[in-house]
Amino acid sequence: MLFAVGGLTNAAYLFIVAAGLSLVFGALRVINMAHGSLYMIAAFVTVAVANQLGSAYGFWVGMVAAILITGAVGVLIEVVVLRRVYRAEHLVQLLGTYAVTLIVAGVVRRVFGASYRSTPAPDLLRASVSLGGYRYSVYSFFMIFAAVVIAAGVYALLYRTALGRNIRAAVSDPELLSASGVNVARLFTTVFVIGAALAALGGVIVAPSQAINSSIDTDVLVLAFAISVIGGLGSIVGSLVGSLIVGEVISFGLNNKYTNGFALAFVFLIMAGVLIVRPWGLFGKPEN
Amino acid sequence: MIREVWQNRDARFRWAVALVFLLIVAVIPQLAVLHESLVTDGSVSAKFEIYLATSALVLALWAISYNLMLGYTGMVSFAHAAYFGIGAYTVGLLYQRYHIPIVEGLLFTPVTGAVMGFLTGLIAMRAVRLYFSLLTLAISQVLFSIAFSWYDVTGGDNGIHGLPLPDQLSDYAPLYYFVAAIVGVCLVLMFVLTRSPFGAALASIRENRERARSVGLNVTAYELAVFTIASVFASVAGGLFAVYQQYAQPEMLYWTENAQPVVVALLGGTGSFLGPALGAFVYTQLNSSLHRYLDSFDILLGVIVLGVVLIVPGGFSSLPTLFVAIRNRFRGDAAVEPQVTESTGEAIESSDLQRIAAVKAVQADTTSLKKGEPLLVIRDLSKSFGGLRAVQDVSITVHAGDRHAIIGPNGAGKSTLFNLVTGRLKPTGGSVVFGGRDITGRAAHRIAKEGIGRAFQITMIFPKLTVLQNLQYAMLAHRGLTVRPWGIADRMFRDEAMELLRAVGLGKFHQLAAGQLSHGDQRAIELAISLALGSRLVLLDEPTAGMSAFETQKAMELVRRVATEKGLTLLFCEHDMSVVFGTARTVTVMHQGRVLVEGTPDEVRSNPEVQSVYLGELEESA
Repeated sequence: MLFAVGGLTNAAYLFIVAAGLSLVFGALRVINMAHGSLYMIAAFVTVAVANQLGSAYGFWVGMVAAILITGAVGVLIEVVVLRRVYRAEHLVQLLGTYAVTLIVAGVVRRVFGASYRSTPAPDLLRASVSLGGYRYSVYSFFMIFAAVVIAAGVYALLYRTALGRNIRAAVSDPELLSASGVNVARLFTTVFVIGAALAALGGVIVAPSQAINSSIDTDVLVLAFAISVIGGLGSIVGSLVGSLIVGEVISFGLNNKYTNGFALAFVFLIMAGVLIVRPWGLFGKPEN
Repeated sequence: MIREVWQNRDARFRWAVALVFLLIVAVIPQLAVLHESLVTDGSVSAKFEIYLATSALVLALWAISYNLMLGYTGMVSFAHAAYFGIGAYTVGLLYQRYHIPIVEGLLFTPVTGAVMGFLTGLIAMRAVRLYFSLLTLAISQVLFSIAFSWYDVTGGDNGIHGLPLPDQLSDYAPLYYFVAAIVGVCLVLMFVLTRSPFGAALASIRENRERARSVGLNVTAYELAVFTIASVFASVAGGLFAVYQQYAQPEMLYWTENAQPVVVALLGGTGSFLGPALGAFVYTQLNSSLHRYLDSFDILLGVIVLGVVLIVPGGFSSLPTLFVAIRNRFRGDAAVEPQVTESTGEAIESSDLQRIAAVKAVQADTTSLKKGEPLLVIRDLSKSFGGLRAVQDVSITVHAGDRHAIIGPNGAGKSTLFNLVTGRLKPTGGSVVFGGRDITGRAAHRIAKEGIGRAFQITMIFPKLTVLQNLQYAMLAHRGLTVRPWGIADRMFRDEAMELLRAVGLGKFHQLAAGQLSHGDQRAIELAISLALGSRLVLLDEPTAGMSAFETQKAMELVRRVATEKGLTLLFCEHDMSVVFGTARTVTVMHQGRVLVEGTPDEVRSNPEVQSVYLGELEESA
């Protein structure tokens, strides 16, 4: 039970990050290597602001600041880099966005230093509760709650708004969409910023739950890849299922003395298995 | 060959740069000592500079082995660092467990690299392109976890340290030459490979997978082979790393480490063989000198990579060409510019104007020719996609020497039928017999080898290869010579290929990149490729799609003439009725996945059923 809740907490922030990656891939057909960098920027901004302003409301101000800053960086990346590589091969896209991760990692190290940093959970959520003989921090439940709210929000955005309809159209056929009079360039920027905001939210809620350093960008990116591939690149439902699988595998794997070193290996074995049997993932659609 | 190089200005320049580069590499230890003695304030250490050069050599080997996949075949792997790490662990573990001296341990690195590369490659080949890349990422992370966590075997996160160098190599300069010798041997082997028929197969795959398959290449097998070969050299590079650094650690296998060979290959230029080596020296030098002045090397590296990706996609090795181009612009030196940069359909035009009389004679001849033996026998062929039955119980016999057209409205199942015959789709029922052999459901590259050529609805050529190479490489592939890792592909079948090019009127364009030719001329290349494959039967899927009326007429004259001269059998589908009735001797009408009628053009034209169902419709709309 303890591990199951731990797995859900993992799944919560991983879902938020992976959903952004998957959404951007689905609509823009770009694997954004810099997605983890956006997550890292948000986590560092949150920690810095929260520690500066104190535990009463620092976290909440940090959240707003992190989303604004990350969103702005996202716009910059989209306009400067991605617009030039949408039509290029996957390799050029991978390298272009990879260059961004190098730059962001360098800047983060310069601004915040290379050592581990952390911040306590905000006062409001610092308590712990007892359930069935185990103690859980309220913050874990907040993370799960946040993920559920965000999942519902993304669903509503995609299926209940005009913008969402255009995004879904872009996922299934971008060329037809541009032929039907939608400003695809602006739509792409919007989608990318939504993706960046999701990365940022992931970074924000993770900040009080673990110590962060300047290598969390690639750590989270590789897990987000695994989740998106397992669930199916471009599918939000897939991201949800994928993150539950990955979150629980990591939690149970790490907490068993026989398997603790190999928890991540299991995740990637599952990923490899899915790629071999169903390259487009559990909930994705095959590319033609 | 020396004369050829001497006459080609660009080649002369490249060979000169390569030669100067190799000479400098040969005397780096001496240069370093000289440098140290010239700078008296003690800020320069010859030992350190030789050490840097050693690491640049290892990086060069690693990056060039990566470029076998990236630049030559067009594969992006995230697992290459893992094979580099495996090489280092091979040396480290053999010493730690069996006390095998590390220099002898190096001998085992190609073996471990080959075994691991082949086994994991078998898995990685289950997916293509982006999904292949992601699969290699998963493989790489599994291998990293093993190195990082399996304490009993690998020593876990501590890695293996303190590997002892033999006395002869304990000084920096001998160690440098030892590493340089091994790297040199590996580079020569890889260079021979890239110019060989095997390398030609890789280039074909990079340029156009579908086309490569249809000229008879087993694409997956070649990709697995190059993946394994790249792993072998990466493993040797990793072994050398363990020798000169005297350690191996799990971080070497982590997926982000792949950035090093990729960035180096990119900086140097993926299109040239030695480019990545140049990139390795620039990278190593930048890394060490900038670390002293700048604490954020990453930022600068990121900016450089971004610049290369967005502005100079050719990398450093394209700078000479860029430089020459700029210089020529300032000089106004027009003679250096290539005379022809693109064709506009003159090829078909000119060749046919000369032969127009001959073509007329051929046309007159068509009715008197009698049909040969059955060449392709399609019996009760069916294909369903879920509930949709695209092709149902189709039986068609194509006779040798015939020009057989399949017509029918959109959705009649023509393209599906072609895909079934050429092996792109597997039938759900029925049989296809070609030249007496059952080829039902065989793989596309096998059917191509049997002698069925295909021109696609979308033009399918190798766009960045020259027109001549398009034909040479197709011939090599078809004759099964591309398994050869030696010899020079560009010198094989030159005369034969030129003869074919002249036959289709493309003789004077043989040096141009095929992608620069006009649409009509590209179709002529396709036809020539089919001829080069020695195909007895050529399937043309809407051969004149997208052509002007004039181009259409010329192209079909070319097809008819070449078919007659070379004794080809044609099976084609086409919407343009003037093309159908001007070329075909037998016409099959398909409707809703079934054969409606078959007969001579006149029979089909006068058939009341066809008129009511199909031709009437068309004529009305036209």
